[in-house]
Amino acid sequence: MSLSPLVLVVDDDADILEAISDILLADGYRVLRARNGLEALDCVRTEWPAVILLDLMMPVMDGPSFAHALREGYGDHGIPVIVISADGNPARAEAVGAQGYLAKPFDVGTLLGRIASMTAGASPPPSP
Amino acid sequence: METAPGPTGRPDCEGQAGVEADVLDADADPAAAERGTYLGFVAHEVRNPLSTALWSAELLVRMPAAERGGARGEKLSAMCLRSLARVRHLVEDHFMCERLDAGALPMRSEPLDVRELLEGIAAKRPPEAPPLELRIAGLVAVNADRTLLERTLDALVALAGREDAAVIVDVKVREGIIWLTFNGQPCSEELLLDPGKGTAGDPRGRALAGPLARRAAEVLGGSLRVVDGAFVLALGAPSLAPRPP
Repeated sequence: MSLSPLVLVVDDDADILEAISDILLADGYRVLRARNGLEALDCVRTEWPAVILLDLMMPVMDGPSFAHALREGYGDHGIPVIVISADGNPARAEAVGAQGYLAKPFDVGTLLGRIASMTAGASPPPSP
Repeated sequence: METAPGPTGRPDCEGQAGVEADVLDADADPAAAERGTYLGFVAHEVRNPLSTALWSAELLVRMPAAERGGARGEKLSAMCLRSLARVRHLVEDHFMCERLDAGALPMRSEPLDVRELLEGIAAKRPPEAPPLELRIAGLVAVNADRTLLERTLDALVALAGREDAAVIVDVKVREGIIWLTFNGQPCSEELLLDPGKGTAGDPRGRALAGPLARRAAEVLGGSLRVVDGAFVLALGAPSLAPRPP
């Protein structure tokens, strides 16, 4: 029996983390949470997510630095990244190499639709 | 694995995309660039709690009626209320700043009991808020606009109470001046400045409390500065004819 897709949510706002996790769990996904890029890197080392939802402005390690560190560590990692940001500037998503951009506040249905399309045929983690 | 970029090779975008692209040239018009940065910060600060308010409300609507009274329903309801409170603070602080800047706030000066105002603020704090201790010797009254002074004191209590710090407000009258000292989380003058690029947000929605307090202190004819890590608000001559209790 295969596990449901794992989504890594990275955001420094505790309520955003809680709300998105609730949305995803209710829709059958598994969820990892991280409050900054550094915590997100730890998560990726532990479990390979099918999708990453990434905020940009965070303390400790921001979204662009995390995306850079992920490429440094895993090369073409193949994990789709969706930037979730309140800054209203999709160019920043392009700059971090993300595959999607959702401007907060986005619709629940839009989020689920986007994740469903990106988790279809999710890739396995790279060999160590 | 295919990572599903948008049809143009760029990220798939949804929402307010593109509205606030970095198009302002700070060299060409520094004032407009600064204003744009400020408004961008306010928009950013509002959108996070607005998101959680909308999502939690939508999840509640989707939930079977029988489940709304359960643990998940209660959690979502609390999140919705908490998020709306953040939005309310931000919106109210922002528009108060705007009205003060425009000189468009109607004001009516009246004798006010400072203790009564502070006790009113303490009473409105949520139950989970850290303690607020008032140290006031006797009756201290001042002539000021009630709404503006209330908002100023509330903002300073919020700043001192950042990160769940207990707050002590010490009120003294010396040489005809009322000195209000807000002790709590260590404060700096930077908190009074208008937010710019890289300014941290506030999880309680009080990111504009400092800019509001700075503007309001000036309009009240007082002064606001930081002494030993505490905000000190000095207000003009105490009222000679305080309203009877």
